[in-house]
Order: sequence, then C-alpha cells, then structure tokens
Amino acid sequence: MPLSRSAALLLLMGAAGSTACAQAIFAPRASALGAYAALVQDVRGFTANPAGLTGMKDWDIYTTTYTTTGTGGGGFVFSGFGLGKRFLGFNSLAVQYTPGTTLDVVKRATFRIAGLSLATDTLINYDEPLAVGYAARVSDRLSLGIQARMQTEKVSNPQYTLEAINDSLSTILPVQQTYQRDVWFADLAVSWKPADDVSLSALGRSLARITSRGIPSGYDQYALPWTRSLELGAAWSPVQSIRVSAAGSTAKRGALGAEWNPLADLSVRCGLYGDGTLSPFLDAVGVGIGYRYLFFEADASYVRFTSEANRGGTVASASFDPSRIDDLGMSPYAGDRASFSIRAILGNVRETPVRIEGVQLAGGVYPSAFQAMAYRPVGRVRVRNTSNRPVAARAAIFVDRLMDRPTLSQPVSIQPGETADVPLTAVFNDRVKDIPAVTIRDATVTVSAAIEGDYDDEAQARLVIHGRNDWDGTPESLRYFVTPDDPEVIRTSREIMLAAKDSLSGVPSELGQLRRAKLLCDAFAGRLVYVSDPKHLTEFVQYSPETLRSRAGDCTDMTVCFSSLLSSIGISTAFVDVVPPKAPEKAHMFLLFDTGVSPQYGDHVSSNPKRYILRKSKSGRETIWLPLETTAITRGFEEAWTEGAQQYFDDVELGLGLASGWVRIVDVY
Amino acid sequence: MKTALMVAAVLVAAQAWAGEIVVQALRGDVSVRHGVTEVWAKVAVGDVLRPDDTMKTGKKGSAVILVPSPQAGSAGARKVTLPAEVIVDMSDVRDLTQEELMLKLTMEKVRASSYQWKSDELQMPSADVVHGADRSSTQVLSASDPSTGVLELNGAHVLYNNGFFATCALKGMEVFRLYPPLGKEFGNRLLVAEALEKAHLRGEALNEYGTIARLDGITPEQELLVHSRIESLRK
Repeated sequence: MPLSRSAALLLLMGAAGSTACAQAIFAPRASALGAYAALVQDVRGFTANPAGLTGMKDWDIYTTTYTTTGTGGGGFVFSGFGLGKRFLGFNSLAVQYTPGTTLDVVKRATFRIAGLSLATDTLINYDEPLAVGYAARVSDRLSLGIQARMQTEKVSNPQYTLEAINDSLSTILPVQQTYQRDVWFADLAVSWKPADDVSLSALGRSLARITSRGIPSGYDQYALPWTRSLELGAAWSPVQSIRVSAAGSTAKRGALGAEWNPLADLSVRCGLYGDGTLSPFLDAVGVGIGYRYLFFEADASYVRFTSEANRGGTVASASFDPSRIDDLGMSPYAGDRASFSIRAILGNVRETPVRIEGVQLAGGVYPSAFQAMAYRPVGRVRVRNTSNRPVAARAAIFVDRLMDRPTLSQPVSIQPGETADVPLTAVFNDRVKDIPAVTIRDATVTVSAAIEGDYDDEAQARLVIHGRNDWDGTPESLRYFVTPDDPEVIRTSREIMLAAKDSLSGVPSELGQLRRAKLLCDAFAGRLVYVSDPKHLTEFVQYSPETLRSRAGDCTDMTVCFSSLLSSIGISTAFVDVVPPKAPEKAHMFLLFDTGVSPQYGDHVSSNPKRYILRKSKSGRETIWLPLETTAITRGFEEAWTEGAQQYFDDVELGLGLASGWVRIVDVY
Repeated sequence: MKTALMVAAVLVAAQAWAGEIVVQALRGDVSVRHGVTEVWAKVAVGDVLRPDDTMKTGKKGSAVILVPSPQAGSAGARKVTLPAEVIVDMSDVRDLTQEELMLKLTMEKVRASSYQWKSDELQMPSADVVHGADRSSTQVLSASDPSTGVLELNGAHVLYNNGFFATCALKGMEVFRLYPPLGKEFGNRLLVAEALEKAHLRGEALNEYGTIARLDGITPEQELLVHSRIESLRK
C-alpha cells in the first residue's frame, strides 16, 4: 500500500514489497513537443534552455496541473508555477517552484517480533522543487542563460524501540527517522539564431553541483546519479505557421517535435521521445494544443509511453534502479499523463511586433535647410516585423532642445518576419538656426506598430548638427540660404528700384523684369569684392543680409545674395552648378534669372542667341533666361551677363554638361 | 605673290589639320561674331575660328572654311562652303555622334522640366495665379525680325548639304522656338524632319513628320509626301 500521497503518482514495487512514484513533466508545451529547448521563449519549461528567457516581454506567470492516466492515477495534482520578469532591457530572470516534480519510492519491509508483524518500509523521495534562471541578450541573435536547480533526496525509515510500560510490560513504539540531502546543480545555456527562421540551443546540464550532508552512508544506494550532459536543440520554421524542432543529449536521449498554427492564436503540437538506454528506442509520444486569448495562454498535452513496463505504479524491487534516473521529468518510471497550464503575460503586456535593427543618420542636419527636414529624411531606421501578421510601422525621432516633440514618420507596411527602412523626417524648432558650429547631439529613435500608445523599441543615435552657415555642397540645399522675404533684402532691393524709378518708366512691360534686374545688379557695380570661404570642414555660405553688410563673398555667397535680391522683386532664379568631371576642385556656381520675355522677342534681349537660354517657366510658358556670373557683378550687369553666357555656352552647349549630368540647373523660387 | 599665296594655302591646310577651323577663302560681305558678343567683325583668309564663333555671309558674300574632320582622311580637314545669306555657328560644323545628339535632345527636356524637383521636397502650396502684373507701360513690343532666322535656316541647309544632319536638326528646332512663324512653313519643317531621319533618329523624325502633317495650309501633295515618309519610317 502506498505510504505517501504527495503530488506525484505512486508506483508500488509489489513483488519485493517496494513502491516507487514518478513525477510529471512540468510544462504541457514542452511535454507535447519533446524537442523544446530551441523553442523556449518564455517562462514555460525554461529549464530546458534558460537562454530562451530573453524572449519574455515583461512579467510572465505560469501555473500547471496534471493528471495521470495509468494505473494508480486519477485526480488533478498541482504541479507548480513559474514567474519571470524582463528587466533593464534584455535581461530576464525567472523562478520556478514545482512541488509536483517529485518521485516517491516505497520499499516495503516487515519486521516480525513475538508473532507481531511490524512494517519497516523505507520511503525515498526525490524532488526538484526549485529552479532559478537568468538570461541576457548579447546581440539580436545571441543570448546566454544560466540556471540553478535544486534537487532534494529524502529517506525515511521507521525505527522501533522497546519502551517499558512497567516492570513486566513493554511496548514497541515506532520512531520515524528522516534524512534529507539538498543538491544544487548549475547549468549553462546559449541560444543562437543564425537565420531568421532557425534557432539553435545548447545546454550544459549539471555542470557543477553543491551537496549538503544529511543522509547516512548506509543509504547511498538511493542517491541519484550526477550526470553531466550536453543537450543540443534546433528549431526551423519553414513557413510562418510551422515550426519543427529536434533535440539530442549526450545522455542518449533525443526528441523530435512540430508545432503548427492553423489559426493565429491556436497551436497544435506533437512530439516523439527516444531513449537509447531503453527498449524500444521510441520512448514516448506527445500531443498538445495551445490557445491564446489576449494576454492569456492555455496549453494542454498528453504524453503516452510506448513501454508500460515499470510505469504502472508498481515494479519489482530489483527493477528499481536510481542510477537510471538522471532526469526526473523523463525517468523510466514516469507514466502516461495529461497536463494543463495557464500562462499570463502581465506588466508591459502590449505586443512589441517591431524591433529596431539599425539606425542610419547620414549627412547630418544643416540649419539652413532645417525646414526641408520635415519632408526630406534626415536618416532611416531599419525595422523588423517580429510578429506573425503584417504591421504598419511608424518611426519617430527626437532631439532634445532642438525639437519640441518627436516627429512621427509616415507608416510603412512590413510583412511578417521582414524588414523595412522607415524614413525619419524631423521638425526642428528655431533654436537649430542659432547653432554656430558643428555639434553632435543624441537623437532618440523609436518605432511603433500601433497608431496609439507606447513605442515598441527604442534606439539612440548620434546626429551631427552643422553650423548655421554650413552647406552640404548640393545646389538643392543652397536654395534654403536664399531669403527673398528677409527685411534687409527687401529694403535693399526696394531702395534700388525707387532710386531708379525714372529709368524704369516707359520700358515695355515685357522687358520690365530684365530692366529691373539690370538696375539691381548695376547698383552693386564696384561695391563688391570676391573673398574665399574661411577654412572650414564644410562649405561655408553667407546668408544674404550677411553678404549685403560685408559686401564680400565667394561665388556661392554672391549667387545666394543676388538670387534673394532678384526673388524679392518677383524675378525667378535658378542656380547653375558646374562640377567639371575632370577637375571637380574647380566646381563653380552662377545664376540664371527669368527675364519673362518670350522667345519671339529675343532680339530685344540680345541679337546673339548664345547670350540667353530658353526655359519653360512653372506655368509651361517658354521664356528667356539670362546667365549671370555673380562674382563679376562688381564690374556691372553687362560684364556679369557676358561672362555667365560664355560659361553657359562653353559648359552646356559645347561641353554637353547638362545632358551629361555635370552641370545642374536648380530652380530656387 | 604666287609664292605668298602658296605659303598661305599650306599654312591654312596645316592649321585645319591641327584641329582648328580655318577660313580658306572669302568673297564679298562676310563677318564673324566671336563668342557671346553681339558685334559682327571682319574676317580674313587664314583666320582661325573658335567653336563658339558664328559666321555670316551677306547678299553677295561667300566663304570657304576648312573644318577638322577625322573622315577627311590624310588631309585631316573638310572643306565647307558658305553661300550668300547664311548664318552658321562654328559649333554646328561638326559631326555629332548619335549619343551626343540624343544628349542634346535630352538637354532640351532637362531645361524644360526643371520644376519637377519641387514635388520631391517641400510641398508648400503655391498660388496658381499670381497677381500683380505691371500695367503701367503701354508700349508694345515688336517680335524679332525673322530675317535673322531665315539666315540661320539657310545656314541649317548648309549644314544638311555638308552632312551635318544632327546639328542641322538642332539648329532648325532652335530657330523655330525663336521665330515661331518660320516653324509653320512646310519647307523648313521638312528640312528638320529629313535631318533627323538622316541622323537615324527614327522616333524623333516620325514626331516631326507628324507635326508637319498637322500644319495649317499644307497641300495635298505635301501631305502625300509626309505620309509616304511616315509609312517608310514605320516599316
């Protein structure tokens, strides 16, 4: 008869008057799959591979129960619970309390004295009640884990003492002698994802041991062996809804498993167990099912062993061999069982379906073009969809003090498992215009797959903020230095126009723009001087008021200044950027402006068509544009025009620079 | 005197062979405009012309220039005769490869589509209608004198007759933009279309013939000619 009714199934060792009990495999998902190590990603069954704990979102709570279906089974037994928490980024800690993971053995014996039969059964209890695991993510694909497992061995043996009642009478009194020994094992694990659909794991089990004393040497035959082993696992997901796994151990055990999601929240599992020390080799078959609803997940499994020998609850005394038990979960004395569990994900329970894989902030921010950054990306963030359904990912960037709030990008659709680059646009505040020189700032980049709520992942990246006069060298950016609405520019151009109002009267309206442009340029004749840029890391460009005040600058400063002045009186301008392919160090820039004159009136502009260019305006009307070498304006409009026209003809018409791409025309306004 | 002329001829040939455009012979009123200036200057035999120069002949004028040409064999220069009443840009007296011609035609499109970039960046709303036109002036501007355009088209004929089909076509197109009335004349358009055809630009030639077919006042014979050209190009 059983002497113990702990949370485990009793196995009686009848023939020799002995009894043993087998425990249950703790997690139903693990027991259904068999090969589980490479699939660990939460607190469930983490002792198979503690490195997998890095897959936890936040709090993870888990409890399980089981019932045996073999001889002597029946009723549900509380198996235990687990608790896990992710903290400080990608560190995870978990603890598992499993009072149901126990194996009880009753070795029957009787003692006969004076015709009285006294039971002297030896009770041996093996228990693995506690495990603590810690994991850390080393990189996106590599995690390390360590765990300590506590195992207890308890031996109870009744001792009888003869107690004198009086001088003639004595009685036999039982005294239960119990000895206990605690053993702590240390395991090391590693998880590696060499590819998005492949996971590998390795676990060094029982690498170290700490044993307390407590059991007399007379009971050494009941001690469990210390078996160091290496357990390897692999999992592959050929399609998003299917995972297949395999596991093998130097302890000659192995398993194969498969998990299929016919629906997004439903999982169907099966597994095969093999044991090289048993016959037949195929030790057990597992099946299971899992269902997820919101933040709860329920699992059920059933494990059936192919050989029922020693699993019925009673074995011959000679057949019970503790040295064959190196895993309480799958000992030769375990019986068929059904397990059920409930898991809850608490705390930051929101799904994080997207993850940042990299941030690239190239080129930096040029304050002159800061408004363009609201539309032109300052960089991009590579985002991976880690969920099993398509998501619309949005990214946001924030630079403290230079932005009032994070700027959210447009959503980008990403298929499950795939990555996409999300452009980062940034709305800076006016403080960025006050930055005098190059500076480095931290930019916080976040991504989210949800329209509202918190972000899913965050990254920090260094962002270069250039000085307010820095220019990236592209004509497109130079136009942001053009400020036709600057009060000083407007005042200057209006004063010139007012002073020359007499010469403007009587001019045909078609030639009005040309005349005004000429007056504006001639007003600066002899009053400008060419000065090279200061030595600087990047190109230096003056804003128009700065050039107007200093009356000095290089070709870009002059081009920007006269573009501003001409634009301020309603004349469209364009930059001509010349970068000779054989001499890029001789790059140059000059200006085109729109006379507004139709081509059929070309004779009124010049008798030589080489002095002008026909271009279509925004409205589609073709008009005559004149090239101006702005550094020659100090010699007057005619000189500047002649030099500009000659350059344009040489570079564009003869050199085919525009068609070849080394001459570019960029409209300003 | 004879010796001097012989020496001059030898020098002229040597310069042309060296890759320069050289004036070999002149008769009557002939002038040259240098670069982007607006002044017509006298020219003399033996003068070296730059690619950005332009030569004009008067009513009774004519000129012979030697143009460097790899196709001219050992002589290294090709003789081009400019009859009376033509304007020819020296930059046009050259053989453009088909690639260069395509680049030139692309350039016309590049110049015309420079506003497209704005849609890639700042999408600021801008008014389609701009108010503030200057109505203070009552003077009416007269269109350019087409006689200059006629001279340039005559020059385009010279280019065509000397096998410079690509530059002939480009010059014709430019003249049509500057002098729109000339672009409505069948003969002028046909010159450009044929030049494009000779330059092996089939698509562009077809477009040009299509434009000619839509010209006002085209006669049935002219229409027949154009359609036959279109048909032969489509084969």
